[in-house]
Amino acid sequence: MKIDSGDTAWVLASAALVMLMTPALGFFYGGLVRRKNVLSTIMHSFFILCLISVQWVLWGYSLAFGPDKFHIIGGLEWVGLNNVGFTPNADYAPTIPHQAYMVFQMMFAVITPALISGAFAERQRFKAFVLFSLLWATFVYDPIAHWVWGAGGWLHNLGALDFAGGTVVHISSGVSALVAALVLGRRLGFGKQKAEPHDATMTVLGAALLWFGWFGFNAGSALGAGALATSAFVVTNTATAMAALTWMTVSWWHKKQPSVIGAAAGAVAGLVAITPASGFVNVMGAIVIGFGAGVFCYLAIQLRERIHVDDALDVWAVHGIGGTWGALATGLFATIAINSAAANGLFYGNPKQVLIQLVAIGAAWGWSIVGTFVILKVVNLFVPLRVQEDEEILGLDLSQHGEPAYASINAN
Amino acid sequence: MDATTVIAVICSVVVFAGWLVLPHSATTAKQVALSEERNPVAISA
Repeated sequence: MKIDSGDTAWVLASAALVMLMTPALGFFYGGLVRRKNVLSTIMHSFFILCLISVQWVLWGYSLAFGPDKFHIIGGLEWVGLNNVGFTPNADYAPTIPHQAYMVFQMMFAVITPALISGAFAERQRFKAFVLFSLLWATFVYDPIAHWVWGAGGWLHNLGALDFAGGTVVHISSGVSALVAALVLGRRLGFGKQKAEPHDATMTVLGAALLWFGWFGFNAGSALGAGALATSAFVVTNTATAMAALTWMTVSWWHKKQPSVIGAAAGAVAGLVAITPASGFVNVMGAIVIGFGAGVFCYLAIQLRERIHVDDALDVWAVHGIGGTWGALATGLFATIAINSAAANGLFYGNPKQVLIQLVAIGAAWGWSIVGTFVILKVVNLFVPLRVQEDEEILGLDLSQHGEPAYASINAN
Repeated sequence: MDATTVIAVICSVVVFAGWLVLPHSATTAKQVALSEERNPVAISA
């Protein structure tokens, strides 16, 4: 196998783009919380970037992509990047160094637990968050990544299509966020006091940086600099724009005004939904996927509000539902005209692909629910998941980190 | 024109046409208290 310098350059650049998404997520979430919790919210993302970067090279990559064991997990042969060098790995990416593929995948493993942090914002104890994130990455993310992307993984063998992580990243994090919100309970004053976003400009900037980084997430998943990466880039941008337009229109109709935060959230929903489909659908499919993301994710937020679940930053609605819609839509609109190595979807004569996608969706939902619930209960045995009431009232910036975000403004 | 294109065109028409019937300004004017306004910051040379 010969290393292709163009492919390698693109994948390394994409890894850097995806790395940027995690702090961008911190700013997206940070703008949505109250002033007294912004620093702790940004810290969740920044800390996970550090934590999973180390976990991944020590054992995460080996569990997710190492030699297959029983079609459910990778072995420990690649612990500490043993046997993961600069020679390409034919199973994953035959034209780039194996470590380039490893570091690209690392950035996916980093952002996934960071996404969950939006659900328990403003009330989770930092120490519990540290333990939860490490256990969740090891026992929920790594197995699901192996099922779908690992050589020999059972969903991979079944033919499930997930180009860049609709199932692995977004369903797993979105569903886990819902479980976390239910286990932790509602914030103090939930439903009585409105927790207004403290800085909408920060949120829009975060969404724009996420959009930018997502080109690496999706187009980088082609693992080469060519036509497939170009197609993934175009459909990513198209679906994102369509979802933002749709969300803004629906919220305009519902709330009588076009929401800026709504447009930003819609863009993120579109990015989520096109992720699993980005290497398999054409630009018309992307428009439909973006439209569906805008409608379904907005409706999911209305449902979440109606049943009084305090998923603080709507991770389930945007990532859980957006990822589920994207995974299902992949089974509808995939076409081998875009990716000859994949399969057609229902609209191109292959209804079986929808069933395969449903199996993958069900497996990701099931494992995320069970795994997250068990991990939260285990962590709670050692460290209380929530901060105390007075700490929550004071705000997590001061109570957990001893630092205010804005020194000159009273916390509130 | 395949089925995917037809659905995409319908979705686009729904969104674009929707703007024609949406209100072009807020239905109620709200007095927004400037509670967050801060004192000017003195900048010394």
